[in-house]
Amino acid sequence: MTIKYKSVKEFKEMISQKEISNKEIIQEVFNLIDDNKGLNAFITLNEENSIKKAEYFDNNPSELSLAGIPIAQKDLFCTKGLRTTCASNILNNFVPPYTATVIENLENAGCISVGKTNMDEFAMGSSNETSFFGNVHNPWGENLVPGGSSGGAAAAVAAGIVPAASGTDTGGSIRQPASLCGITGIKPTYGRISRWGMIAFASSLDQAGPMARTAEDCAILLNEMCSHDEKDTTSLDETVPNFQENLNKPLKGKKIGIVKDLDLSNLDNDVVEVFENSLKEFQSLGADLVDISLPNLALSVPTYYVVAPAECSSNLSRFDGVKFGRRSEHTKDLEELYVNTRSEGFGDEVKRRILIGSYVLSAGYYDAYYKKAQQVRRLIKNDFENAFSNVDVIMTPTTRGPAFEIGSKGNDPIQMYLEDLFTISANLAGLPALSLPNGFIDNKPIGLQIIGNFLDESSILNFAHMYQSETNWHMHTPEGIK
Amino acid sequence: MDKKTVTTISYLSRLKIDDEKEEKIIEDLDNIIKFVDQLNIIDTSDVAPLTNPLEKTAKTRKDIVTAKNLKKDLLEVAPSSNDDYFLVPRVVE
Amino acid sequence: MSWETVIGLEIHVQLSTKSKLFSGGSTEFGAEANTHVDLIDMGLPGVLPVANKEAFYKAIRFGLATKAKINQTSSFDRKNYFYPDLPKGYQITQMTKPIVEKGSIKIYLDGSEKVINITRAHLEEDAGKSIHDLFDGETGVDLNRAGTPLLEIVSEPEISNAKEAVAYFKAIRQLVTFLDICDGNMAEGSMRCDVNVSIKKNDSSELGTRAELKNINSFKFIEKAINFEIDRQTKLLENGESVVQETRLYDSEKNETRSMRSKEEANDYRYFPCPDLLPVVISDKELIEIKENLPELPEEKEKRYVEDIGLDKSEAVIISSSKAMANMFEEASAKTNDAKLVAKWLVGDVSALLNKDNIEIDESKLSAENFGKLIERITDNTISGKIAKSVLEDIWENGSDVDKVIETKGLVQIQDESILEDIAQKVIQSNPDQVSAYLNGKDKLFGFFVGQIMKETQGKANPKSVNDILRRLLK
Repeated sequence: MTIKYKSVKEFKEMISQKEISNKEIIQEVFNLIDDNKGLNAFITLNEENSIKKAEYFDNNPSELSLAGIPIAQKDLFCTKGLRTTCASNILNNFVPPYTATVIENLENAGCISVGKTNMDEFAMGSSNETSFFGNVHNPWGENLVPGGSSGGAAAAVAAGIVPAASGTDTGGSIRQPASLCGITGIKPTYGRISRWGMIAFASSLDQAGPMARTAEDCAILLNEMCSHDEKDTTSLDETVPNFQENLNKPLKGKKIGIVKDLDLSNLDNDVVEVFENSLKEFQSLGADLVDISLPNLALSVPTYYVVAPAECSSNLSRFDGVKFGRRSEHTKDLEELYVNTRSEGFGDEVKRRILIGSYVLSAGYYDAYYKKAQQVRRLIKNDFENAFSNVDVIMTPTTRGPAFEIGSKGNDPIQMYLEDLFTISANLAGLPALSLPNGFIDNKPIGLQIIGNFLDESSILNFAHMYQSETNWHMHTPEGIK
Repeated sequence: MDKKTVTTISYLSRLKIDDEKEEKIIEDLDNIIKFVDQLNIIDTSDVAPLTNPLEKTAKTRKDIVTAKNLKKDLLEVAPSSNDDYFLVPRVVE
Repeated sequence: MSWETVIGLEIHVQLSTKSKLFSGGSTEFGAEANTHVDLIDMGLPGVLPVANKEAFYKAIRFGLATKAKINQTSSFDRKNYFYPDLPKGYQITQMTKPIVEKGSIKIYLDGSEKVINITRAHLEEDAGKSIHDLFDGETGVDLNRAGTPLLEIVSEPEISNAKEAVAYFKAIRQLVTFLDICDGNMAEGSMRCDVNVSIKKNDSSELGTRAELKNINSFKFIEKAINFEIDRQTKLLENGESVVQETRLYDSEKNETRSMRSKEEANDYRYFPCPDLLPVVISDKELIEIKENLPELPEEKEKRYVEDIGLDKSEAVIISSSKAMANMFEEASAKTNDAKLVAKWLVGDVSALLNKDNIEIDESKLSAENFGKLIERITDNTISGKIAKSVLEDIWENGSDVDKVIETKGLVQIQDESILEDIAQKVIQSNPDQVSAYLNGKDKLFGFFVGQIMKETQGKANPKSVNDILRRLLK
């Protein structure tokens, strides 16, 4: 298998050196998908179109930055003519009449969208156990979760099936699966990537981003994914820098913020050790560690679990069986149409969040919950602003531990919510954040999170790339992948 | 979070809770609300709520018609429609 | 037991932008179902709203004309509920911070003037249409209208009876048409009205429980619905029962209001700020530009007509009452140099024709150009006033050009004094008895001679010349 585990950069090299044809690449990708069906990483495949595009590039060699590169797209992005489900029964049969801007950007740069990846239903989850199409399995261990909600994307990259995938991150859904699957993923600043065509979960938190084997690959993809889009008024109108430009800047004298309010005593010793080893590595690269305070950080999870459900309860109202998507067969009157369509169409976690959302917005509770959460959100954002006046980046572990067993967080939603403890605050503040592999615990990968200042993806990619130039955690590959 | 409240918010959300799942849902929702109640320990009396992390104003569009006639495409993806309309069970006002 | 009625009106005005409030879908009325539906109007997954600036400008014009406070920074909220013609399951509206606040408008009723205060006016998107009676056992949904910009104008509860309510509605309609922000077309649903009615005892300061009458779009029905409702509530309270706070529909066939079937829980709309829409800001520069380009309002026109042009107040009131009338007057006057004559004809003959055909002036075949030409042909003596009446009827029916009609029917006035004198002589000679009767004091017979000359000339003789000649000859 010549293409397995190759990075985007290596793919580009292979293609330009004509070591392998575009068509052969795509054929191998689909063979790998087929051989590794057990991962359940994909919901819909795009084989015919992919081969056509590959053949085109074989006959018309292209200078486009991603020409011929196979990329897996999260099934939360609308793709014209290709089924888009959000891993939900209610969109089981939905074929969008248009394509998301971010996908268009990637495809215009030449990439080949090989298929739509599995995910937690409507991006609600941290383990890819809520999908209507079944659980995704972590390539590092069959009974392990890959993380969520971009579980399928992370698994596809970790298994070496594709060099890169698109993900989305509302509370950590790119970074957490990247950590549990041993790959690199970045959520850029809120507004960098257009949300047009991204099926909305929580509008003020959602952001798309790349997942790949290296920080450099993430930079290559990010260059294409980011754009100002007139169709999305929350899309930033700032110049998109070349994210590859500053990858090799020396780290000497740079400051890394270590959050002193973060109580790491709850974590396993192993996790703390891995984290501290990474910090030592950065120190040897010349960076300094600086204590910072984010006093309201502990409230980020409850804040998120008011704001995100509130927004999603409203965003998901459009799924009513009237104009698109699946409609229940039991519809003797309008009320039945709504209640049965939605109750049959949504899974339990989605229902829970919609109910919480309706509750915190309802008359009498709005001030105590929703308004309160919005206020705490501002405090969290302010905390970061203060911290960044002293440091270049902030580092934390990405997750509390490595991948856990499927079904082990079982019946307690709150246990699952606490998975996002470290990642959520970046979404609340709209800041860019990345996860990269930094060690193993019980033969399972784990990640380091680097949070950057507003619009400063370049710094976090720089830190990540320099780390990956000195270490090889990101180059480990799982056994048992065919 | 009691049964009456869950019934009300279920109605507002147009969701039906199966009888056998009802108790667990009430318990889950109750736990989640207790969990988020933590927010009340902090004083936020002079803090302006943050709705969107971007502190900027929106661009607007000019008043021109840009949409094409999508009737055929839209009615085709509809769960129930005739040549002209989306159809739902008869609504009585 | 003396009861007092308290009424407040919420008027939904469809703003006359070309495209919708948050999408590029067309707002054109009457199109085939579901042909003006943009992806955004459909509420498809992944779509996002982008605000149409023109809608804000139109809303601000209303605010300026009602001397209201303008909120230059607009924010939007979501109002959440389920209905088939509400594609997203929520309506984007302005609950917390409306674009316009605290204005007022004067209404005139039976010769007296009253000021009604306007609490607020805000922007929101319209829903689609549900069609209940076309399909057996099913309701059809047409989303053409979904997303059309509305300005919801809310009055203070200061209206005291049905007639005042109608006067207020008419005043708002006149204002929005003059401001060119709405076409005022009631039949097409460009303006719809919800009425809140409650009654209280004369000596009580506490307001009674109100009922909301929804979606009435004709002046006649507003009056009838309110009167029915006042009656119904009075009877309830006099029987010791209480009024339920609820929404009611007006049935025009039965002339009654009845309760809408909706659950109480349905009223929790869970308003919250729309996270997809960042605030829209209208700059000071834009505000000044809107102010400077504000169209002339009825009161200003009336004043100008009276003071600058010299019209009678009664004529000025009629002409300035509707934008179409005012436009007709101003455009036609520009083509003649006798604005007063234009006014006289407009208020007289043209209005009579409008009444006869029961149409509005912009529905008639009369163009301002043609009308102006007609008046010009009177002032330049091409035709007499009397002939002009028949020409008017012709162009009213057929829309034909004034000069063509005059030419085809040979209606040019006879001006030539020598010809008229010959005819006059002829008439005098043929009617010796009437001549001597006239000369003996029967002054009324003067009209007879005029009539005879007119008969001879098929009415085309210049009346003034005829009068002068006859007076000379009949001495």
